[in-house]
Amino acid sequence: MSSEPLLRIRDLQVEAGGLPRVHGVSLDVGEGCFHGLLGPNGAGKTTVLRVLYRAARARAGTIALAGRPMRDWTPRDWARATGALVQESGLLSGLSVRDVVEIGLARSGLPPEACAARIDEALALVGLAERQDQDASTLSGGEQQRTHMAQLLARDPALYILDEPTNHLDLHYQLVLLDEVKRRGRTVLATFHDLAMAARYCDSVTVMADGRSVASGAPGATLTPELLRRVYSVEAQLDGALLRLDGPVRRDPR
Amino acid sequence: MTSARTTLLWPVSLALLGASMLAGVFWGTAAIGWADRWAILTGDADAPRSLSLIVWQWRLPRVLAVALIGAGLSLAGALMQTALRNPLADPYLMGLSSGASAAAVAMIIWAPAWIVAALGVPAAAFLGACAAFAITLGLSVRPGRMLSPLVVILAGVAVSLMFQSLTAFFLYLGDPQATRAALGWLMGTAAGTGWGDLPVPLVATAVVAAGALWRAGDLDMLLLGDERAAALGLRVAPLRLAIFAGAALLTGLSVALAGIVGFVGLIVPHMARLLTGARHRRLLPLAMLLGAVVLVCVDLLCRTLLAPEELPLGVLLALFAAPPFIFILRRVRDVL
Repeated sequence: MSSEPLLRIRDLQVEAGGLPRVHGVSLDVGEGCFHGLLGPNGAGKTTVLRVLYRAARARAGTIALAGRPMRDWTPRDWARATGALVQESGLLSGLSVRDVVEIGLARSGLPPEACAARIDEALALVGLAERQDQDASTLSGGEQQRTHMAQLLARDPALYILDEPTNHLDLHYQLVLLDEVKRRGRTVLATFHDLAMAARYCDSVTVMADGRSVASGAPGATLTPELLRRVYSVEAQLDGALLRLDGPVRRDPR
Repeated sequence: MTSARTTLLWPVSLALLGASMLAGVFWGTAAIGWADRWAILTGDADAPRSLSLIVWQWRLPRVLAVALIGAGLSLAGALMQTALRNPLADPYLMGLSSGASAAAVAMIIWAPAWIVAALGVPAAAFLGACAAFAITLGLSVRPGRMLSPLVVILAGVAVSLMFQSLTAFFLYLGDPQATRAALGWLMGTAAGTGWGDLPVPLVATAVVAAGALWRAGDLDMLLLGDERAAALGLRVAPLRLAIFAGAALLTGLSVALAGIVGFVGLIVPHMARLLTGARHRRLLPLAMLLGAVVLVCVDLLCRTLLAPEELPLGVLLALFAAPPFIFILRRVRDVL
C-alpha cells in the first residue's frame, strides 16, 4: 500500500434534511484497498457516500482523491474517476437492461466498439446477457441491482463507492459480484449490514455510530464482541468470516 | 425490438406527417377539385384565385401552426416526464396550460393595446405557464425529495382549477367586447392563424428541440434517478431548470397560438416510447413527429366533421385521449 491514500476524508460534517447527520468522520482508503463502512441504521454511512458521489454537500471537512481536493475536480472528471452503486429505487419503463449500462458509459470518452465490448462483458458477468433487451423496469429488485452493478463494472472506475452492494442479491450473486470487484484490485469504499460479508471482503473497516467514526482497522481486530455490543446492541462474536450471533442485548425496559 | 420495425419507423412517420399535412391543406369547408389542388400547390397561373387564397393564406399557415403545436407540446410533455421522472407529467395536467391561458386572458382584457402590441400575448402566456409550474412544484416538492408522482399530478390539477376559475373571474369582470375576443380564443382553435404568427413558435420549438437533442445523453442519465445521474457527473438542478423553462416556453407559445390543447403532451410521448424506447436521441424526434401528425389530423376532423361549423380542438382531443390515458394509467400503476 502506498503512503498517500487514494481517498482521504478528514473531519467530514454533513447535514441531511436540515439535521446534522455526520459530525466528524475521518478515514483513509489506500489504493487497491477494500474498505468497509459499517454501523447500525442511521449511523450516517449512506450520508458519507452521498457526499462522495456528489448527491449531497459537506458542511465542513475535506475530501481528497489521489491527493487532489474534491472541490478542485470538475463533476465530469470526478465521475470518471469514481463510480457509485446507489440505493435508489425505481426505474422508469422504456429503458432496456443494455440501455441502463450504456447510459453509464456515455461520458467515458471510450470509442463505441470499446464501449460495446465492455457492456457485453459486464452483462455476462451479472448473468443478464440473454435478457439485455428486456425492459429494465420489469426486472426484480435483485436483477435491477445486478443491472446497476453491470453499469459500474463496465465503467470500472478507480474508486468504487458501493452502498449496500449485497442488497436484494441472492447469495450466489453476492459472492460473484464482490469477488469480481475484489479481483479487479480497485479501491473500494462499501457499506455493509452483513458483518460476515464485510469480514470476508474488507481489508479494513471504519465503524460509525451516531454520525461519528468510533473505530477503525482490520475487521478481525476492530469488530470485537465489546464493540458489537456497544454499537450494534448484539451479543456476537466474529471468527474469521463467520459471525456467531447469540442474540440482542436486552435494553433497559424503562 | 426488431430491426425491420426500427428501420421502417422513421420513413413511415415522415410519410404520415407529409400525408396528414397535405390532407389538412386539401380538405376543408370549401371543396376543391383534384385538378385545382395540384394547380394551387404548384402555383399554376390557371388556379382559381379565391381557392388559391384559401389554401395559401388560410389553410397552410393553420396546418403548420397545429403541426408546430403538436410537436412542441409533445416535446414539452416528453421533457417534463423525464425531468420529473413522472409518467403522468404533461403541460395540461400540471396546470401550465391553464396558467398560460389565465395570463393571456388577463392580457387581452385589461392590458392597454400598446402593451399587448409590444409584449404580445405569447410573452404573457409564457409567464403564466412559468407561474403555474412554479406553484405546482412548490406544492408538490419537499426539500431534498420529490413527492409521489400522483401527488404532483393532484397538485397540478388543483393549480389548473385555480387558474381556470381565475380565467372565469377575469372574463366576468371584463367588458363585453374584450370578453368576446378572449372567449373565442379560449375555445382552443387555430382558426385565423396567419403567416405572421408562425416565426416565433417555430424558432422557439427549433431551439428547445436542438438543445434537448444536444443534451440527449444527459437526459438519459436523468431517467436513472437524481442520485445516479449526480454520480455520473451530471449537474441535475441546472438541467432540470432548463427543461422546465423550455417546457413552459413551448406551452405558453402553443396556448397563445391556439388556446388550451390538452393531452397531446401526455399521450404522444408514451406512444413514441412504446415504439422506440426511452432513449432521448430517438424518443424526442419521434414524439415531435407523431405529435404533429396527431394534431394535424384532429384539426382536420374539427374543421370537416360538422362543416361549416368548427369544433374546438380540445373537444375531439379529449374524446380520443381518454382510452390511451386509461391505458397509460394501467401501465404506470406500479410507479405510483
